[in-house]
Amino acid sequence: MVATTTGAAAEHRRPGPRGGTERRGRVRRFLDRYWYAYALVLPVVVVVGGLVILPLAQGVFFTFTNINEGNIANPVLGREADYDVVGLANYLNVLSGDPAYGSFWGVLLRTLVWSGICVAFHYGIGLGLALLLNRPMRFRTLYRILLILPWAVPAFVSAFAWRYLFNADYGLINWLLGSVGLPTPVWLGQSPVAMVAVIIVNVWLGVPFMMVALLGGLQSIPGDLYEAAEIDGATPWQRFTQITLPGLRPVSSTVILLGVIWTFNMFPVIYLITGQNPHTRILITYAFERFFSGATRDYAIASTYGVLILSVLLVFAGVYLRALRSQEAD
Amino acid sequence: MAGVSYVKASRVYPGNPPVRAVDQLDLEVNDGEFLVLVGPSGSGKSTALRMLAGLEDVDEGAIHIGGNDVTHTPPKGRDIAMVFQSYALYPHMTVGENMGFALKLRRVPKETIKAKVAEAAKMLDLTPYLDRKPKALSGGQRQRVAMGRAIVREPAVFLMDEPLSNLDAKLRVETRANIAALQARLGTTTIYVTHDQVEAQTMGHRVAVLKDGLLQQCDTPRNLYERPANSFVAGFIGSPAMNLKTVALTSEGAVLDGLTVPLPRSVVAGHDAKTITFGVRPESLRLTGGDEVGMKLTVDLVEELGADAYVYGSVDIGGTAERFIVRTDGRTPPSIGSTVNVTLRDDNEVHLFHPESGARLETTKAPTA
Repeated sequence: MVATTTGAAAEHRRPGPRGGTERRGRVRRFLDRYWYAYALVLPVVVVVGGLVILPLAQGVFFTFTNINEGNIANPVLGREADYDVVGLANYLNVLSGDPAYGSFWGVLLRTLVWSGICVAFHYGIGLGLALLLNRPMRFRTLYRILLILPWAVPAFVSAFAWRYLFNADYGLINWLLGSVGLPTPVWLGQSPVAMVAVIIVNVWLGVPFMMVALLGGLQSIPGDLYEAAEIDGATPWQRFTQITLPGLRPVSSTVILLGVIWTFNMFPVIYLITGQNPHTRILITYAFERFFSGATRDYAIASTYGVLILSVLLVFAGVYLRALRSQEAD
Repeated sequence: MAGVSYVKASRVYPGNPPVRAVDQLDLEVNDGEFLVLVGPSGSGKSTALRMLAGLEDVDEGAIHIGGNDVTHTPPKGRDIAMVFQSYALYPHMTVGENMGFALKLRRVPKETIKAKVAEAAKMLDLTPYLDRKPKALSGGQRQRVAMGRAIVREPAVFLMDEPLSNLDAKLRVETRANIAALQARLGTTTIYVTHDQVEAQTMGHRVAVLKDGLLQQCDTPRNLYERPANSFVAGFIGSPAMNLKTVALTSEGAVLDGLTVPLPRSVVAGHDAKTITFGVRPESLRLTGGDEVGMKLTVDLVEELGADAYVYGSVDIGGTAERFIVRTDGRTPPSIGSTVNVTLRDDNEVHLFHPESGARLETTKAPTA
């Protein structure tokens, strides 16, 4: 009985086209070998696909339509979707810089300035603190924990705390400034001072990450390089520029890239501290405003801003990484 | 060019009790000399070198280079160059930049730097690699770059901290000879730290043996070998190590199993203890026929090295099995597990030490050097 079955199976397989059998065999071997790898990856693929890829594709599609609150499908009102595909009109409108579409170029410039200033302070202060904390001293661990703390506090908690500090009439900052006879500006009003305030808050929030990353980088530089440089006659400043900075380069380049991307899209600090203030408006907050407020919630323009932000960051990351690579090849 | 002297120099690490890493080191290194500091790990040899480099504080005493007191001078003011165990090459600089870095910091004109780097590179066969980064080099090449960096400086003193320990055995032997030849050619005073006594014996004009921060002996390799100042040096210098046993002393001499070695009257007379530390090198022992007086050695292991063989075995002395190593002819080694008869080649080829202090007890044999 058993023998017959096997015989039949063998008989059945043989007449099939040779290539087909071989291919099936290869697929079977491949699955036998790697099925668990695919099984392990599958949940992540599903989640990432559902939460990132699909919404992204939908967003890109919206940029070619005139979708807004008035023409989107609304099951509550029993209304069908009746938005139209408008081609590149949204892009043309936004890129024209028309104030009705958010003065794109001005806001982009402000976003770049905001990112540049914030990351420069993040890096500078983070490096300074990392250098201080990298030398042996008492209570070093305590200092490290205290300096990492701003990072551990949720951004919205810090944002509200800072709002109170910046309050023009009752805030601690103006009280301090006033008590030493300095001017006490209206920090969070409709003026460029608000931008200074949000930059201060964002710097405070972003320094711990830079500090921790750079501290790790500093510790990876072998101590005998400093000793060799000292014997070679390098002053402390020369040791910093000739050993420390080149030694930190791999870490620096990564954290600066990350810092720029995060700051470029730093929504909570600006929105929670100043709300909808044209003086602190950056691309991401404008996209939010456009999406959730206004006479008609303009999903199409908001999506267009989203895609433009993504494009700017992609171009930046590409150019940045290429520049790094060519420098490394030297 | 300069001599170096340590004057009762100590490095004391704070603690309870404080650790005296280098303890009252007194050492004179002559101009142009190749001095090797050798000792087991923790002996303070590297610390002593780093004190000379200015990388460690000198807590007591003083250090002079070329007659100048440099005890509190920072490293850059000492006119020294150091080769590190890890080489410590600057990873982001090319070989040429690494070698010229010290000159660049001293604002030496570019053309001069280039010429000096080229000259050193030629000396070390590094010319084709001048534009490479250290990570693109092999271990041996990196080692040469580290040497080159020191040579380009033309310092008064070279300091080398185990520069060969990251090389494989064959390359190490080769590089050992190259460094010794280079030093002879340049004639620069060199202090070289190693834990390898073979390196020490083959490279140094003189060798200083350290243990627990204390200088044990500083002498020529031959004198260290033939007249070790104490039992530590006797056991440390020489490979395989000297057979060192503390044995009973009678009026006839030292008692080793069936063998009684007559000792010089001068030693026995001046020595009041009942025991004595008796040392004999493997090559001073020989296997002999059963009819001669000797120790019964049970063979545990035979290392055949071609021309020679080292026989490791144990001898029953006063009830305990003591291990002995005997050098013998490589063509007819005894088999493992057999018992052989061992005796001295020459009753004068023995080293005697005080059983407690370990200090050498002089035999009548005249020193050779």
